[in-house]
Amino acid sequence: MLSFIIRRLIIIPFMALLVVTLTWGLIRVAPGTFYSQEKKLPPAIEENIKKKYGLDKPWYQQYFLMLGNVTCRTKPADYESTGGLQFSIAGTSFKCFDFGDSLKYPDRNVNQIIKDHLPYSATMGILAYLLALGIGLTAGIIAALKQNSAFDYGSMTFAMLGLSVPNFVLGPILVLVFALWLGWLPPARWGGLSALVLPVITLSAIYAAYIARLTRAGMLEVMRSDYIRTARAKGLDEKTVLLKHALRGGIVPVVSFTGPALASLLAGTVVVEKVFAIPGLGNMFIQSIFNRDEPLTLGIVAFLSIIIMVFNLIVDISYGFLDPRIRYE
Amino acid sequence: MLRISFIQFRSILAIVVLSSFLISCSTKASNRYFGKTVAPTDNILRYITGSEPESLDPQFVTGQPEARIMMALYDGLVEYHPKTMEAIPAIAESWELNEDGTEYIFHLRKTAKFSNGDPITAKDFVYSFRRGLSPELASRNANLAYYIKYSEAYNADRSFVKDASGKFLLKSDLEEKKDGETPAETKHETVGADTEFHKFLDAPERLTVPSDEKQRNKLTDKDAKLKAALDGKQFVPVKAEDIGVEAVDDYTLRLKLYQPAPFFLGLLAHQFFRVVNQGAIEKFGKDWVKPANIVTSGPFKVVTHKPYDELVVTRDPNYWDAANVHLDGIEFYPLDEQTTMLNLYKAGRVDATYNHTVPAPWNETVREFKDEYSLHPEAAVEYYSLSVKKPPMDNLKVRQALSLAIDRDALAKFRKTIKPLVDFTPEGIFPKYEEARRKVYSEELKKQGSSLEEWKARKFDAEKARKLMTEAGYPVEQTGDGYACPTFPIEKVTLTYNTAESNQKVAEFVQAQWKQNLGLTFPLKNMEFKTFLPYRSAVQYSGAVRNGWVGDYMDPFTFLNLFYSPQNDGATGWWDPKYDKMLDDANQETDEMKRFEMLAKAEFYVMQQQIVIPLGTSGTSWMKKPYVKGMYPNPGTLHPWKFVYIEPDQSKWTVNMDNIMESKDPQFEAQLNQLMATQIAAEKAKATEKPEEKTKTAKAE
Repeated sequence: MLSFIIRRLIIIPFMALLVVTLTWGLIRVAPGTFYSQEKKLPPAIEENIKKKYGLDKPWYQQYFLMLGNVTCRTKPADYESTGGLQFSIAGTSFKCFDFGDSLKYPDRNVNQIIKDHLPYSATMGILAYLLALGIGLTAGIIAALKQNSAFDYGSMTFAMLGLSVPNFVLGPILVLVFALWLGWLPPARWGGLSALVLPVITLSAIYAAYIARLTRAGMLEVMRSDYIRTARAKGLDEKTVLLKHALRGGIVPVVSFTGPALASLLAGTVVVEKVFAIPGLGNMFIQSIFNRDEPLTLGIVAFLSIIIMVFNLIVDISYGFLDPRIRYE
Repeated sequence: MLRISFIQFRSILAIVVLSSFLISCSTKASNRYFGKTVAPTDNILRYITGSEPESLDPQFVTGQPEARIMMALYDGLVEYHPKTMEAIPAIAESWELNEDGTEYIFHLRKTAKFSNGDPITAKDFVYSFRRGLSPELASRNANLAYYIKYSEAYNADRSFVKDASGKFLLKSDLEEKKDGETPAETKHETVGADTEFHKFLDAPERLTVPSDEKQRNKLTDKDAKLKAALDGKQFVPVKAEDIGVEAVDDYTLRLKLYQPAPFFLGLLAHQFFRVVNQGAIEKFGKDWVKPANIVTSGPFKVVTHKPYDELVVTRDPNYWDAANVHLDGIEFYPLDEQTTMLNLYKAGRVDATYNHTVPAPWNETVREFKDEYSLHPEAAVEYYSLSVKKPPMDNLKVRQALSLAIDRDALAKFRKTIKPLVDFTPEGIFPKYEEARRKVYSEELKKQGSSLEEWKARKFDAEKARKLMTEAGYPVEQTGDGYACPTFPIEKVTLTYNTAESNQKVAEFVQAQWKQNLGLTFPLKNMEFKTFLPYRSAVQYSGAVRNGWVGDYMDPFTFLNLFYSPQNDGATGWWDPKYDKMLDDANQETDEMKRFEMLAKAEFYVMQQQIVIPLGTSGTSWMKKPYVKGMYPNPGTLHPWKFVYIEPDQSKWTVNMDNIMESKDPQFEAQLNQLMATQIAAEKAKATEKPEEKTKTAKAE
């Protein structure tokens, strides 16, 4: 188990670097620059910009400079930024994990941007996922236990609906009803619990639906398995059978879904962020690509790739606790 | 200001469509106002200004969302007139322009202070201008200041050329000299001591060459005469101290231009020329714009800045005109999703938005709310550029036929927010220029045996379009109830636009018009914005490409300048030295009407070439709650915030936005008159002193 975890942990930074390198290459291949705008720039000003951001250097120098910044390098004397990790060993100053300043927002450091905007997405994403778990698990379990009942059909119809109505449709409808017609909740913007209600519901719908269906399917399969029959045969009461034995096996699919789902909730909520004007990371990510804001894109890509790998690792570890048959060598 | 900054991110277009449909169902025309309309009691304006500002550094930022924020935070020599956007006094209480139109003297008020209490003097302006032009800042707006002497040379890292005797080479040394002509030296009476620096600025223009040897060699390789002239010379880099900005004393600022630029005064209200605090910038480096460190000079100062969420500013008691700032504060919400904006507006959580915020499907519903919706002309045009160097677009008749074959009235009706346009400068923005243009056009057209009426008919004339296309060698034939033009090389052209719902709709409309009237189906091609920009500016397209232009200042030159010089930004590949000369000559003219006539001749000349297809003058398509007063739909949607106030008394609320420019608001008029008084008095004083020079002083009205 431990060696499995260590092996995975060692791979993570290398995978992240690979992802960063690929992304860097893709950005460089894309036409247009962060400074290209409707109005054409005089060549002299373009020269100034290139000089300021080191774009006049050969591409491999720029690549290694970027690589040095995002890993570790000695700190240049004129270095102002406070992003990343800075320390001194034997009189030499180093700085690590620094993605530098955004090109679009030149007085903001990328590390700081991620730190500033992650909490918005995380709050919304985690609340949405908790809500989705609550609704999805309950509905899924009951539907599985009362298979082919009215509740089963009803809840699965709702789940189907939740899966097929995209959040860019659900969001505006909720806004229309609860913010504009009834006036109970604000239509958009961050601030207070009331502002969280609509985006969280919008965001959770599709996950709740998915979890409900996964739980139902998982539970149905487990309930028919041998060890449940054994549990019943040895005289355990139905509650224990259900919660202690069936549920642990039944929600394995939900757990494997949780890793990627949480990661995408942290940065993939761009549509909901747009509709509700929430300053989250997802919108920053998409905008950074449209702006050709290379450091910001790289920073968020690196952050996301690490998050996804870590979540997947946690999910893999948790299998062992949920299903005693799974072993790591 | 930039060109029309269309929202780049439209991939979730469906939101707009869907919710627009839902909203329009839910709005009842019986209500007088659009949604909840209650004047806020805290005297704080909640405003949507567009995307998140790039920075709070006025010399660095370029977009219009930023421009509006900078106007709250920084003051300049002059401010925009709230209705017309012409220059009105700000920190400069008055100014004068010398006889040859190359030197401005600004008299600063002695009461101006930064938000930290430091007095604002001429030296601060000198610092701000030099900083904006420094190559290290690499501001994308630096070229706005290129009219100032040696500023381009400093910004572009160029050097003066000194010979062994210590004499500097002049620009005129390399020009062909006419007999007995000596380089012009400007000599005139001046304010303050005639300093060495002032003599240097007044002396004939020195030659400058790139400081970088490689670039210099590139130039000398092409130009043997220059190579000989530079041989054995010493190169002295142009420094910040060399540019034509001088603090004559603490409260007098002198600006020296290369050449007369009658529009330059209006340009000085741009955020690039607003004053910043040297102390704060030098102390905090790039972190000076952080709310804890920032020092501002405008009517409002920063309280909090949460990126992508809100920027809160409050009235600055240190501001020189604080007594006339009515709002206690402004909350700017950075947003770029139009539907979300109007949701907030409708729910009464936002008091006003910026321009072009009404999504097209909402337009029909929203425009009924006359007290809130404005569609006033803007200093902005929409047009298609044509690849005039590539066949078949190299044929003038083809270009004219394509332009004539678009029904612009129908387009304007379809697009909802534009007015038809056949020329390149927008209509309804420069009334004096339009008067001159009518005169010039009538004369010119008479020479051609045509008339102004015929010119105006270019809005749409399918018959003539078919005739021209046939004359161009591509006969248009009638086929059933339509037309066909089988010989036209349609495979060589496209109609290209950047991805945005509005662009696509216009392109489809134009495509249909050409099909219907000429039998030509141009293939449409859409491209992501940043991919599109280099493609368009390098004229990689063949056929037609979407384009638009927003004026930088309130003068037709900002439009006509688009086709000036071989590196021009028209994206057509067209350049004509004759046109450049027409513009240069016009700017030498100090009489306003004569200059306009000369500019109109240039416009006539370029429109004869039909290098672009003008489509329309943009309209504001802008909303504000009726209780927000002192805010007008001016040509750039740039509001001087100190005029804005919230009116609690419902009987004084705005009624009918269509008449808002003509309606009289006593509070607003009084404030404006008080502000203008210093410049009007200065002009009067000057006129009585030297009556013959009356016409040559700068105009504030």
